[in-house]
Amino acid sequence: MRDSYDAALHLLDRQVLDCDERLVCKVDDVELTVAADGSLVPTGLLAGLPALLPRFGPRLGAVMARTHASVHDVVAGGDAPDVVEMDLVDEIASAVHLTVPGAGLLRPREEVDAAAPERVRLGQLLGMPVTAPPEVGLHRSSRLLDVRITRVADGRGSVVDALVVGPGRPGALLGYDRRSESGPWLLADAVRWLHRHARVVEVGPEVEVDRDRGEVRVGPGASVSPLLG
Amino acid sequence: MKRYFAVLLGVLTAIGGFVDIGDLVTNAQVGARFGLSLAWVVVVGVIGICVFAEMSGRIAAVSGRATFDLVRERLGPRMGFLNLVGSMLVTLLTFIAEIGGIALALQLVSSVNHVLLVPFVAALVWIVLWRAKFSAIENVLGLLGLTLIGFAVALWQLGPDWGELAAGLSPAEKPGAESWAAYAYFAVALFGAAMTPYEVFFFSSGGVEERWTPKDLGVMRANVLIGFPLGGLLSISIAACATVVLMPEGIAVETLGQVGLPVAVALGKVGLAVVVLGFFAATFGAACETGLSTGYSLAQYFGFQWGKYVRTREAAGFHVILLVVTVLAAGVLLTGVDPIMVTEMSVIFSAVALPLTYFPILVVANDPDYLGEHRNGRFANLLGMVYLVIIVVAALAAVPLIIATSMGQG
Amino acid sequence: MMSAWRTTAVVVCFLAWVLAVASGCSLVGQPDVAAWDQKARQAVTDAASEVATARLAVETARDDRTWSSYTTVVVAQAEEAMGTVQDDVSRLQVPPGRAQDADDLEALLDAASSAVQDARQHAVAGEHDDRDLLDRLDRVGERLTRAETRW
Repeated sequence: MRDSYDAALHLLDRQVLDCDERLVCKVDDVELTVAADGSLVPTGLLAGLPALLPRFGPRLGAVMARTHASVHDVVAGGDAPDVVEMDLVDEIASAVHLTVPGAGLLRPREEVDAAAPERVRLGQLLGMPVTAPPEVGLHRSSRLLDVRITRVADGRGSVVDALVVGPGRPGALLGYDRRSESGPWLLADAVRWLHRHARVVEVGPEVEVDRDRGEVRVGPGASVSPLLG
Repeated sequence: MKRYFAVLLGVLTAIGGFVDIGDLVTNAQVGARFGLSLAWVVVVGVIGICVFAEMSGRIAAVSGRATFDLVRERLGPRMGFLNLVGSMLVTLLTFIAEIGGIALALQLVSSVNHVLLVPFVAALVWIVLWRAKFSAIENVLGLLGLTLIGFAVALWQLGPDWGELAAGLSPAEKPGAESWAAYAYFAVALFGAAMTPYEVFFFSSGGVEERWTPKDLGVMRANVLIGFPLGGLLSISIAACATVVLMPEGIAVETLGQVGLPVAVALGKVGLAVVVLGFFAATFGAACETGLSTGYSLAQYFGFQWGKYVRTREAAGFHVILLVVTVLAAGVLLTGVDPIMVTEMSVIFSAVALPLTYFPILVVANDPDYLGEHRNGRFANLLGMVYLVIIVVAALAAVPLIIATSMGQG
Repeated sequence: MMSAWRTTAVVVCFLAWVLAVASGCSLVGQPDVAAWDQKARQAVTDAASEVATARLAVETARDDRTWSSYTTVVVAQAEEAMGTVQDDVSRLQVPPGRAQDADDLEALLDAASSAVQDARQHAVAGEHDDRDLLDRLDRVGERLTRAETRW
């Protein structure tokens, strides 16, 4: 697996294949678990309509998810998405490859333990407004566009170590804002120009993802670098 | 030797598979009304489909990802879903038109009303989709579709004044009685017929079905770059036959029977029979392709197992979709709607839906994550960008032209 | 909120588009002279196309270049389309000063329709070698061609 990837660009919405190249599901959302030290650790790929529908936007998605849940509430836990454990992921390339066969793999997570760690979905974090003092140099209507996940040597496996923030403009999923080499040049330049205010903010003590208030706060001492280059 | 055979077979099926009910009807209509003054649109459309089919085939061969995977990855779930709905509607419309076209072709042989033939035809299509092997569908129907070469033979047999015919190629040769709005409408319709989105859904998903690898890139390119242009020549010969025989008589093409008349004039019964077999094979092949394409795009958006390369049970959801769309298409045709009218609608709305499909393909064809060293070169990108502009213009112009000309009548 | 405003704008644009498409398809013509002339011209052109189709089908059948069900289907479809043309014309509101023209048009379309009908009857009966029928179709075709320049 590559050492570092951007979750929304490289992981979300990709096809999941099992060890026999059979199609399992899409990465409809990514489950992030809050570790003891407060860092966000990707622990699972979420699949199914309960994971997909909330991503249709704050209002439309909520309506669709509610409708889906009310249709399915006869089934216990019908509104919980299926989870594929992150440990089972072999490689993240143009598709997500698993190390195991896909048959019977898709099941909702059973949280028996009342003291289960706090889990969030990537889809809930994306789009959060970012507030920062002016000296940090972020565009004033910045939002969380993506999270950068990097492999670490400790037991967590990999961890969210940087946030991609910027004014949410069309074309963030095209990838031109992250790479300089490819294009049709006109298209690539247009997308890069639209995303010229996008920045990478490294996760640290100065950066706080406030899930209750639904915003990201960046302090004056945060390490900020341009997205490209 | 086997490799040359594979290339030849691929090219031949690409020629036979290029023409569908939309091409048959639209080319004959245009030939009878505008002569060859719109033939350049077929050329533009064929180059376009070559450019994008090659890109989507290359992505499928190198990364194993088919077109609708890309649509969702690059546009996100929301835009991707809108795209899915739009593409599904257009593909379904085309599917209905193809099944109607099979019934119309059988009607010409049996003189049984086409509405009565629809349930039988739909059942036949579904059984083929369910039981037949993918390669059998593609090869048998593609090769049978080659019989449409009868149109080229007919044109040669009609012995038109070739100089006059060539002079008619210029857009300035638009017949005076026709308005420029109608000319533009049919230009967009011909473009839509040549570049129908289902062709790349099917082409790229077919690449995955047949387990293409980067080694197959050469064969794939040969199929596209030789097969599609020759298929385009077939389209133009259909238009030219209509120009030579139907236009002087003032015949406007509204039925499949009229499309075949020039061949009857030129070649008689046997030639006509061969061409009607071609109608059947081309529409049947395209019905299979569009039917599969609806299943492919839905499954690729939601991520469940699709394809005929796995056992039916493994791709149960996919096969249920095929059954549902076939029943739906038969239901629509049983209302007695004219399949030719459905065809006219399907080609013009194809033009509207073009950017939805082709834009994500162009983007991903540049992505080293997917394609590595096989990503687009400068030339492919230049053509891709030029065509993106043409496609957007055609898509934006389509709806105003539908209104301004009442679907090409004015 | 910004996005609410944007959503509203998109929805309004979409509705306007739908309305425009719908009105474009269902526009009912005013009973003015120019519109009637245009419709009359269109009807004559369409009728001429159907007569020519029937003629070509009968001619190729006479030369034994098609089989009987093919001829029957082509001529029957021409007859059906002819009926649609007549229906459309009969539903037009005749503007003042065009009463005579309307009568002429109706008579012309009747003649064309009955010629095509005759062709269909011959086709069903398998009688393709009928000089009279071809002559009749020719004559009606010529009358239609002349009428095309009248309106």
